[in-house]
Amino acid sequence: MLWAMIEKEFLLVSRDRHALIALFVMPAVFILVMSVALKEQFNQEAILFHIAVQDSDKSKESAKFIKKLHKSSSFSFDKNADILISIPKEYYNLKHKNQKLDILVKGSIKSDLLEVFKAKLLKEVMDFKLKQMSKEIKKTNFQAAKAMKKMSLEYDKLYKISYEKQKLIPSSTQQSVPSWIVFGMFFVIIPMSTIFINERKQNTLSRVTTMNVSLFKLTLAKIVPYLVINHIQVWIMLGVGVFVVPFFDTPALEITGSFMAIELLSFTLSLSAIGLSVLIAVSATSAEQATTIGGISNILLGAIGGVMVPKFIMPESMQNLANISPMSWGLDGFLDIFMKSGDVSMVAYNSLLLALFGLTALALAMLILKLRINRGL
Amino acid sequence: MLKVKNVTKNYADVQALRGLSLSVAKGSVFGLLGVNGAGKTTLLSILNGLTKIDEGSIEVFGLDIQKDAKEINAISSIIPQHLAFYENLTVVENINFFAKIQKATKESITNAIEINSLQNLLKQKASTLSGGQKRRLNIAIGLLNNPKIIYFDEPTVGVDPKSRNEILDSIASYKKLGITVVYTSHYMNEIERICDEVAIIDKGALVKQERLENLLSNRVSDKVLVETFYTHKLSSLGLTLLDTTTVESSQQELPELLKVLEKNEIFIKQIRYGSSNLEKYFLEVTP
Repeated sequence: MLWAMIEKEFLLVSRDRHALIALFVMPAVFILVMSVALKEQFNQEAILFHIAVQDSDKSKESAKFIKKLHKSSSFSFDKNADILISIPKEYYNLKHKNQKLDILVKGSIKSDLLEVFKAKLLKEVMDFKLKQMSKEIKKTNFQAAKAMKKMSLEYDKLYKISYEKQKLIPSSTQQSVPSWIVFGMFFVIIPMSTIFINERKQNTLSRVTTMNVSLFKLTLAKIVPYLVINHIQVWIMLGVGVFVVPFFDTPALEITGSFMAIELLSFTLSLSAIGLSVLIAVSATSAEQATTIGGISNILLGAIGGVMVPKFIMPESMQNLANISPMSWGLDGFLDIFMKSGDVSMVAYNSLLLALFGLTALALAMLILKLRINRGL
Repeated sequence: MLKVKNVTKNYADVQALRGLSLSVAKGSVFGLLGVNGAGKTTLLSILNGLTKIDEGSIEVFGLDIQKDAKEINAISSIIPQHLAFYENLTVVENINFFAKIQKATKESITNAIEINSLQNLLKQKASTLSGGQKRRLNIAIGLLNNPKIIYFDEPTVGVDPKSRNEILDSIASYKKLGITVVYTSHYMNEIERICDEVAIIDKGALVKQERLENLLSNRVSDKVLVETFYTHKLSSLGLTLLDTTTVESSQQELPELLKVLEKNEIFIKQIRYGSSNLEKYFLEVTP
């Protein structure tokens, strides 16, 4: 009986083109547009320096170094470069100790950007020099060379950075993907309310209740399909962040946290979205009313919860207000997973809040539905 | 098999049923008549477990409606006045859904489809069906649980004459299958055509319950009712029509009427002499 009701719900949703667009196309488009549009604002990594290189050394090593700069995502070789790097003669000859790279910078380059450039260039130079030294030492001391080879200048292997909670600043992709996942999940209100109110108006709901279908099964048959739909949404949107966003010259989403944490957070977030949707659907008297109330509440929860405007740029009072929105609980959970390698324990509190919100809304919805059935719907 | 005893139901300030009592015999087609607001819909809601009674008792095939609601739901079915199925699903998807939630047998699914002539419409989306086809699907869904008793709530509202005829014929056929039918309609000629017994209720109470032939034969008049097989020609002949198939005439005018019908190749189903019609009786007892 329950499976038949779930199957029916899937069939009805699959034939609702508008709902499918709201659930899958809208968040995917938002992820792409917002990730690309905001990448300069969010990503220091994305800063691109337009450079030109003059190679007076003309050695094998200098050629290799230039090749390395070409490969780096931080530098772009450009005729109208802002920065000219000159490699002097004998620069890579270890006997000439005092040789320096000459760097000519346009006056319009800001000092903070220049610092970033110097850091990036230093990394490339040091990395290269280290490898070169390792080769030289290898000729005389094999053990020392082996030890040097193990040395690394990769940032995350050199130091660990811990962020204060409110200071966490995501990349545009890290911000956009969870934001629009959360927002998209709450849009189950559209198909759910349309189907539910049509069932009420077309008397199918009262007909079904004359067929010994309990209130619990009625509600469960509404929950299960949308849990599955929300789950599919999450993984499709993550896929967009990981695989599609990079095609638009924007950093891909890196999922460093636990997959179990994603599952737990998605499940409880879905429960909360479904709870609110069922509550609105049973309370509204028409599909138009339900979609209007649902749409407005989604936008409000999204605006307050940091979906539309990232929380880290909100004033403190607004950041505190954001904590009342279930969308904010979900968004913070996803940011913890993506940015702090979050595991289940890290998202447990937010998941608990989401589950409690969802279950309370569902309990309230069942109560209203029971009253409606007793009054003949 | 259906016994309603002193049933009372109140909605806030409105007394919908006031000590209503009636009984329906097994295998009969029972007509339930009443003006709007008489209490018919409330009674049907109670019989289908959608509403609870305040006082009195109801027995359906020996089961108590308050204690055995689930068992009663399993052996009864309602055909609601408003179409109650999913417009976005096909005919077969609708039938499969309602069949599964009632654990219907393959045999009852086949019967429901065949009785309502839905075989060629199975893959069609319900929203694209004609009005009559939708009515037939609505009825087919009600037959899926192989019910012992079916409640029809004005099933021919907004239906064209041809489909109405088919629906009434199919309802008459349930009698042969031993199914008890409770039928509400505002069309008196339908009640006259298919019902064995009628109950007239007014303001929530029973006015009269009687076998139809007794009710009408007690009211002798010189009127003759000629029921014909449906043809659109009938309405263009300037005759006194009770409905789309029945002509009213006096005994003196009958020979002339028969000539007109013969000339226009309109075939006669039955002629009833000396009886009044139900509509006149209904108007007399429900002021």
